[in-house]
Amino acid sequence: MEFLMNFYLHHALSILLIVPLLGALIIAFLPDKEPICRILSLIFSLDILLQAFLIIFSKFDPGLTALQYVENYRWFGDTIRIKLAVDGLSITMVLLMAILLPVTIIASEPIAKSKPKLYYSLLMILTTSVMGVFVAQDLFLFFLLWELELVPMYFLIAVWGGLNKEYAALKFLIYTFIAGACMFAAVLLLFFSSGANTFDMEVLSQYAKSLPHFYQMFCFVLFFLCFIIKLPSFPFHTWLPDAHVEAPTPISMLLAGILLKMGGYGIYRICVGFFPNILVELALWIAVLAVVNIIGAAVACLVQDDMKRVIAYSSISHMGFVLLGVASLTAAGFSGGIFQMFSHGLISAALFMLVGTLYERTHTRQISDYGGMTKYMPKCFYLFTLASMANLALPALSGFVGESLVFYGAFSSDFFGNFPTRFHFNFGQICVLFSALGVILTAGYMLWLLQRVFMGPENLKWSKLTDLRTSELVVLVSLLVLVILYGVYPVSLSELYEPSSTALVESVGKIIGKS
Amino acid sequence: MSDLLIKTSWIIAAVPLISALLIILFFNFSRKISAFLSIGAVAYGLIHSILILYLSYKDPHHVLEINYPWISAGTFKLFVGYLVDPLCAMMLVVVCAVSFFVQIYTHGYMKEDPNYSKFYAYLSLFTFSMLGLVFSTNLFQSYIFWELVGVCSYLLIGFWWYKPSAANACTKAFIVNRIGDAGLLIGLLILYFSTQNLWQDKITLSFNELKNVLDTALRWDILPVVGIISITTIALFVFLGPMAKSAQFPLHVWLPDAMEGPTPISALIHAATMVAAGVYLIARSYPLYELSPIAMNTVAWVGGITAIFAATIALSQFDIKRALAYSTCSQLGYMVMALGLGAYSAGLFHLMTHAFFKAMLFLCSGSVIVACHHEQDMRHMGGLKKFMPITSLTCLIGVLAISGFPFMSGFWSKDMILAVAWEHNKPLFVIGSLTAMLTAFYMFRLYFMTFSGEYRGHAHPHETTLAITVPLISLAIPSIFIGLIGSPLIPGGDKFSSFISYGEHHAHHEWGLNVFIKEFLTIQGMIPFFAFLIGTTLAWLVYRKNLGLNTFIKNRLSVFYKLSFNKWYIDEVYFWGLNKLILPFYKFSWSIIDKVIVDGVFVNGSARVVSIVGGGLRYIETGRGQLYVLVIFSSVFFAILFLLSKGG
Repeated sequence: MEFLMNFYLHHALSILLIVPLLGALIIAFLPDKEPICRILSLIFSLDILLQAFLIIFSKFDPGLTALQYVENYRWFGDTIRIKLAVDGLSITMVLLMAILLPVTIIASEPIAKSKPKLYYSLLMILTTSVMGVFVAQDLFLFFLLWELELVPMYFLIAVWGGLNKEYAALKFLIYTFIAGACMFAAVLLLFFSSGANTFDMEVLSQYAKSLPHFYQMFCFVLFFLCFIIKLPSFPFHTWLPDAHVEAPTPISMLLAGILLKMGGYGIYRICVGFFPNILVELALWIAVLAVVNIIGAAVACLVQDDMKRVIAYSSISHMGFVLLGVASLTAAGFSGGIFQMFSHGLISAALFMLVGTLYERTHTRQISDYGGMTKYMPKCFYLFTLASMANLALPALSGFVGESLVFYGAFSSDFFGNFPTRFHFNFGQICVLFSALGVILTAGYMLWLLQRVFMGPENLKWSKLTDLRTSELVVLVSLLVLVILYGVYPVSLSELYEPSSTALVESVGKIIGKS
Repeated sequence: MSDLLIKTSWIIAAVPLISALLIILFFNFSRKISAFLSIGAVAYGLIHSILILYLSYKDPHHVLEINYPWISAGTFKLFVGYLVDPLCAMMLVVVCAVSFFVQIYTHGYMKEDPNYSKFYAYLSLFTFSMLGLVFSTNLFQSYIFWELVGVCSYLLIGFWWYKPSAANACTKAFIVNRIGDAGLLIGLLILYFSTQNLWQDKITLSFNELKNVLDTALRWDILPVVGIISITTIALFVFLGPMAKSAQFPLHVWLPDAMEGPTPISALIHAATMVAAGVYLIARSYPLYELSPIAMNTVAWVGGITAIFAATIALSQFDIKRALAYSTCSQLGYMVMALGLGAYSAGLFHLMTHAFFKAMLFLCSGSVIVACHHEQDMRHMGGLKKFMPITSLTCLIGVLAISGFPFMSGFWSKDMILAVAWEHNKPLFVIGSLTAMLTAFYMFRLYFMTFSGEYRGHAHPHETTLAITVPLISLAIPSIFIGLIGSPLIPGGDKFSSFISYGEHHAHHEWGLNVFIKEFLTIQGMIPFFAFLIGTTLAWLVYRKNLGLNTFIKNRLSVFYKLSFNKWYIDEVYFWGLNKLILPFYKFSWSIIDKVIVDGVFVNGSARVVSIVGGGLRYIETGRGQLYVLVIFSSVFFAILFLLSKGG
């Protein structure tokens, strides 16, 4: 028994990646019946959640900044290895994925009626690749898994999507492919120019810091491009609303919930971890980009007439806070950015689920077709209200924690203090002042959406609609309970990643101190 | 025992939260259990908070503050906790008392509503958030609960979501409040940013340390009084929060619309407690304002302008609840003005007296509305005195109290404010006295139109049930007598100011009937009284004796009448700006940037470029694999060569 436990703990991460693949394989041999496939994949996903908890609670020490659960295998000779490990940042993202996966599978019931085997197998492959991105510590493996994620995602949108699915899937594919090409170029450039003869990210991150400035800059920009396409950020964001609108509900939940966070994770892991020098140089521009995202996307939300587009643009706006947190180069900003990623993962999944339940019943996403829905779907209304409040960063819900930390971080950043302006506020503070307007706009579009969909005189057209089913309630309640939990007691999440993010900040701080 | 009572005071806030959760999760099927849980929770709170008030009154210097860490990042730490001091004890009693009576009243008012249980759940949730705000130890915690009371208000205004007016009102209320909140947040950020080194090993932004920290910051020249980043700026940004919450001009627009909610919440949230939270926050963060004369003046003038501005609108409203809403605005203006003038105790004293009589007035209006079968237009009322003796009597008490009839509660608190205005700022004294006159006029107008004369409606009015009249009578008692504790008539003089004060401690007050007469027979004592007399007489002449003043103003001074009747067109201006300027601009910029530039030029343009280039490349792209491999290999080869030569 003890031997088994030891064996497991030494191979926890590889097992974490193999289990979904195994699941995909088993599902492929199942009869093509939706409930069977769903229940099996649900069992697998719960197992993954259990594993994530095991990893966190058995041996993981959040106080340690070093990598833990390290596994290192030869792959293509000594250069390209399979190195898996987690630190606080990775484990937070793994946890998010592990939470979202079972929820998504429960939500898949109405979507996966056609070709269930393929659907759930693809979902499992997607899980492996996303989890892999978060735990890979070999840059080549990281890249491969990053690209691997494209394949199931493309098919999930293109097969089970809406009317315009081919266009959306192709747009998603092209954007992400370009992102991947940028990353591939950057990986090769980094590999060759460093001369380290290894893709080990720990080693490379040390080499990268001593590269000539030009190479660092070039690699940084390529990596950064790749990540902000994924995040997404202006001006590479237009694939997201299209993809969301056409993607089926559970895929939207995963897309907003975890795939966008790959971009954020990449920025933290590579742009910050490898090239702090360049980050310091470009932080001002990143802050500007963040503000453009926060405000611009919120403005765009106000003028949409498609519910899914509103939520999609709202995702862009909220991911802007991650950029602002990184750009602030402070402990609070970094910590806020990570918290924001996690909390937005939960909130946006809940919002897409809610919109999906409406769409499933009415087959329209146009806001103007709705009105007075509370009459027929009161439970949906209450949960939508709660999710909207979380999205507009109401205190005591998780959205608030990330945003207030980012605000504070960017406002008090010593680094921005080096850039005074004529208005006495320094540069970062002006960014925060603008972003605070975003807070008002967010309240505006969320509540306006709520009002136009759920309030006002009832619409007899929808009088036959039924309220949320038990399975939908399970999905939403489990997401929103976490939103409340992490909002009321944020330390329970932040203690997991805090030392890692502080270590990152300190490495950046040294650069600022030198310059 | 007394220590234990104070230490466990957090239970007062926790019990309503628990009852709200119980109702939402388990007991929403049963009206009886929901009402029992909700009322029981606040009844417990009322008893406990009265005990705390008693203990705190016995020993005002005994202040308890307990904090727990909430989140930290680097050196940045935030706390939540609870603070029990005289101000908190007073607010606890006010909130619990009004909430208790309103919840009993709710049983009578909402008994036919299908969502009766939900209403109680929301009420409990609100009581929790409001008590949490009262207990806050620091500005940050205040901000948390500040937003939570806003959400409860949003939910309760939108309680009858199927009415388009209610749906609009709740969204508007939340968004206007959000504007204030954003200001408050920025204010807190600037404050914490500029003084962050002084908060180490202290509770971040704690109210008790605020004064010391600001004094130190001033002494060490960390923060100037005036400037772009200064105490004045911080105070003004922070003031945006109270401006929105306490419905001060020009962010007052949400409060009258909020009357679309059920009447019990108009009484509890939009008259007695939540709207007063703005005043409470100013009082809590008083060190900020006190240091900055500009901020103090702004506060005083915003309050004064709101007071008279809202009073002019209240003159011509026909909806009974809207008239009361504007009067709330106006009275809040008094409180804010008082704080701005440095009359700390007077402002809070008015907050307390106003909470009781205004809650009662709203409950009266609710009683009338029920009796008239949901008619809110005063033109269709009248003569209700015959049908509803209890309601009309309590309403008369409320009207006398708010207009400043001698010895009633509003008289003492308003006089205190005006006396300070007379000392410090004569123009504001004039505005205040004028407002007092207008107040007397429109309140008696409301009373006469509703209760005297002949009934003009078509319903069959009747006195309402005990669940409604008992709270009315219970609130009438403090409406008459509560003012006495701040009067010179009781032994020991003004007890309120010696209990709750800022800065110098008034341990000793003169007292006795002769002191009162002496104070009353001064100019600043007589003018408010005459303002009351003139206002009342005018209302009596116009609405009882049919003096043609109304028609004269309507015909000859139609500009003023229209301005008042249409609320100075503020809503129209805002909506014009929103619909004609802001949204079209947004729409335009979004379609230009996203549709034309990004999608049109970037995405589709690059696709076109690719297809053109592709056309040219047809000659190179032979489709022969060897050529591709050759090209790839040679480029990688040259790249490596290049890099090696660099490295070497």
